Amino acid sequence: MTSTSSWISPSTRTELIEDLVSGVDRYNPSNVGILEDYLYHQIRSEEYDCLANLAILKLYQFNPDLYNPDVVINILIKALTASPLPDFNLCISLLDERPVNATLDEPDPLPSILPILKDLHNLLYRCRFPAFWEIYHSEQLEALRDNYTVECVGFENAVRAVVIRAVQATFTRISSERLASYLDLTGADLNSYVQNLGWTVDSSTSVVSVPPNPDNQIESTVVQETIALPQLTKVISHAALKA
Amino acid sequence: MAQQRANLWNAEDLEDDVDLSLAIGNYGQNGHYEDAHMQQPQIDESTLIAMQQHMAQQAAFAQIPDVVKGFIVHFHQAVLNNNLAEITVAYESGWNKYTEKFYAKTEWPEAEIIAPLVNEDPIFLILYRELYYRHVYSRLQPNIDDRFHSYENSCELFNYLLNSDGPVQLELPEQWLWDIIDEFIYQYQNFCSWRSKVKSKTDDEILMLADGGPVWSSYSVLNVLYSLMQKSRINEYIAAQREGKSAEEIGEIVGEYGQRPLYRMLGYFSIIGLLRVHVLLGDFTLALKVMENVELNQKSPFTRVTACHVTTYYYVGFCYIMLRRYPDAIRTFVTILNFIMRMRQYHTRSYQYDQISKTADRMYALFAVCNALSPTRLDDNIANIAKERYGEQYAKMARGGPEALPAFEELFLYACPKFISANAPPYDDPAALSALLTPSSPSDSPSEAASAQTDATHRHLELFLADVAAQAPVPTLRSFLKLYTSLDAKKLANFLDADEEEMVQELMVMKQASRSLSRVPGTEGNLLEGQVITTSDLNFVINENMVHIAESTVGRRYAGWFIKNTERTQKIFDDLRNTPLPVPKASGPGGSHASSGGEQQQQHQQQKGPRTGGQKVAWGGVKVA
Repeated sequence: MTSTSSWISPSTRTELIEDLVSGVDRYNPSNVGILEDYLYHQIRSEEYDCLANLAILKLYQFNPDLYNPDVVINILIKALTASPLPDFNLCISLLDERPVNATLDEPDPLPSILPILKDLHNLLYRCRFPAFWEIYHSEQLEALRDNYTVECVGFENAVRAVVIRAVQATFTRISSERLASYLDLTGADLNSYVQNLGWTVDSSTSVVSVPPNPDNQIESTVVQETIALPQLTKVISHAALKA
Repeated sequence: MAQQRANLWNAEDLEDDVDLSLAIGNYGQNGHYEDAHMQQPQIDESTLIAMQQHMAQQAAFAQIPDVVKGFIVHFHQAVLNNNLAEITVAYESGWNKYTEKFYAKTEWPEAEIIAPLVNEDPIFLILYRELYYRHVYSRLQPNIDDRFHSYENSCELFNYLLNSDGPVQLELPEQWLWDIIDEFIYQYQNFCSWRSKVKSKTDDEILMLADGGPVWSSYSVLNVLYSLMQKSRINEYIAAQREGKSAEEIGEIVGEYGQRPLYRMLGYFSIIGLLRVHVLLGDFTLALKVMENVELNQKSPFTRVTACHVTTYYYVGFCYIMLRRYPDAIRTFVTILNFIMRMRQYHTRSYQYDQISKTADRMYALFAVCNALSPTRLDDNIANIAKERYGEQYAKMARGGPEALPAFEELFLYACPKFISANAPPYDDPAALSALLTPSSPSDSPSEAASAQTDATHRHLELFLADVAAQAPVPTLRSFLKLYTSLDAKKLANFLDADEEEMVQELMVMKQASRSLSRVPGTEGNLLEGQVITTSDLNFVINENMVHIAESTVGRRYAGWFIKNTERTQKIFDDLRNTPLPVPKASGPGGSHASSGGEQQQQHQQQKGPRTGGQKVAWGGVKVA
């Protein structure tokens, strides 16, 4: 990702959603259903639209009656894999404190899941990838996996995309072993994943080469000053006056 | 209005407010309120009370100093005549002067009492109350009646502006228009944080808050701001201006409201107001999104109101911090801090100077925070002032390690906006309310319990500190990497006394921290737009287990120094040349022309050249030739 344009307005966003995101209609509580449907569409089809999801949270913020914990959790799961962009934090910022809600039919799952998601986000943001997978697969997170992430198509691959962003910026070559621990993949899975990226594995040393990109090319440079004409305007015009 | 508001789903909110004003009236007027409580059914008694009130009003009227009466009459006349110059004088100097003299510690006379002075002019009375309540908020402690009434008065003002037959003919100074919007949001924020403190409420207050309805609700505040923006078609106006349309075309586009400066300015100030409200509510992307048509530069006519200009940059800069876009935040703060410095000589005289310099001080703190997270050499001057003011904290933040976090926390809490929660505690639900008041576990100290305002602030603080903590190892890693061009990862881990695998992961964090989204300088438009840039002069890459390091250095800069000194020399040269030589008798003819334009003066001097004595010929002669 090198610019924000697809984040501000993903190509998959429909005109209807665009109107809701950019117009005053975003405050209309009766539109929350449209945005929630759009969220579930994102979850099924590996799309992502942060601003549209923030619009849902905004409606929840202003209309506590609309609050649906499952939607909030799904939004946070989607935002998790946007790291290192601040999406996850932006979502949390909109979650106002709410008194324990008695009107829900079932107990609110968010208070117990929120700290888990924050931990997962923290591990991803701090590039602690092996630890992320360990905790993600742990028994305590069974509820999160079975009830939520399993529904979110491609969640694990989205986490791997976070890994790849960090690795390709930092490494020119990386051992298969290390990469495997970051990606939570082994053997043939790892090989095919790496091949799909267009990366190559040295069969004798099993070291993976990361193709050059703007972030893993380093060069010592000396920045020389450049003088723009406008800087000299005063000096030159003064000289011209004399002539 | 009906047409415009039809597409605003909650248009009825504003109308509710009007209806509600009646309900509020019952609470507000002390007479009625007491009546209800004291259960005094006899008509006689209430007539008596009314008479007593009348007499009390007369007595209160008699107590107003004559100069103040005169001031109010004069002020009213200026407003009636739409005389901007006189309104400005009354507003900026008269009001403050008499506040200091007579009302430093008490309220101004109530609007009802001074009403006879202004022929009961309802519009002037609304404006008067606007000032009255603002004074209460800034100098005294507003009680719940003041809070409800100031809301009611704001609604009356905005109803008058938005729902009259066509645009109103009123004209007000720009500064006052800004203050109206600014104060409206301030009172909203103040109300929300006061409301969130459940513990200190009396039973009566809880009762009133339970029935409060839309009083200072987020929806009603947003509704006012959006209505003003739509009415004035300010976004269309800005777009048309940018496209260089002619005055007639613009007039056509913005319609009868947008053509009037009052609406145009209110529309613009409402955009800035929205920016602020969204930040207070923790919506940093939406805050920047409402600004998408506004160009952040110093040339726009909207920058004439300095307080607005400063507010804009403060909130935009803060949004960038929360979006982890530290270079953008730095650039934003540097721009406005330089502006404030240049303007200092003018606005020390303004009554808003205090407020502006406080905001500036908070921006220096935020600048120090950003600079620690993303070191830059954008502006040494600003950096030096920031280090002067927050040197101790800056040193800790830049060094990283365990002492850094408390320093970040201190400056963040000092400089962050006063965040609010959108919703009230459950005043209408006694059970939930009492649950809120009793600490959930015995370990909770009572002071920690149930203060949603601190909760909002702490929620943002916690997020920010988590970001900062993630970057904590960076300064140390950096200081080691700087010493090498290549280094084995294991060796580096040994130096740091760290686990090699963990350290490699920290190196990835370091890499991540050295990249940031940033607006491309020179481009205008959407503030959310940006591209990834490198923010660090130290770059590295890991080849299996070997870390290779490359540093970008900035060559010595000569040009700036030479240009500055050339210009200085030229100025000295000009000054010298324009100074008449001391002539023994009679002042030189040059002196009398000193005020004329530079060029003319030069010619004058040149003609004069040969006539004056010795040394001057040397250069005078060259020029003539």
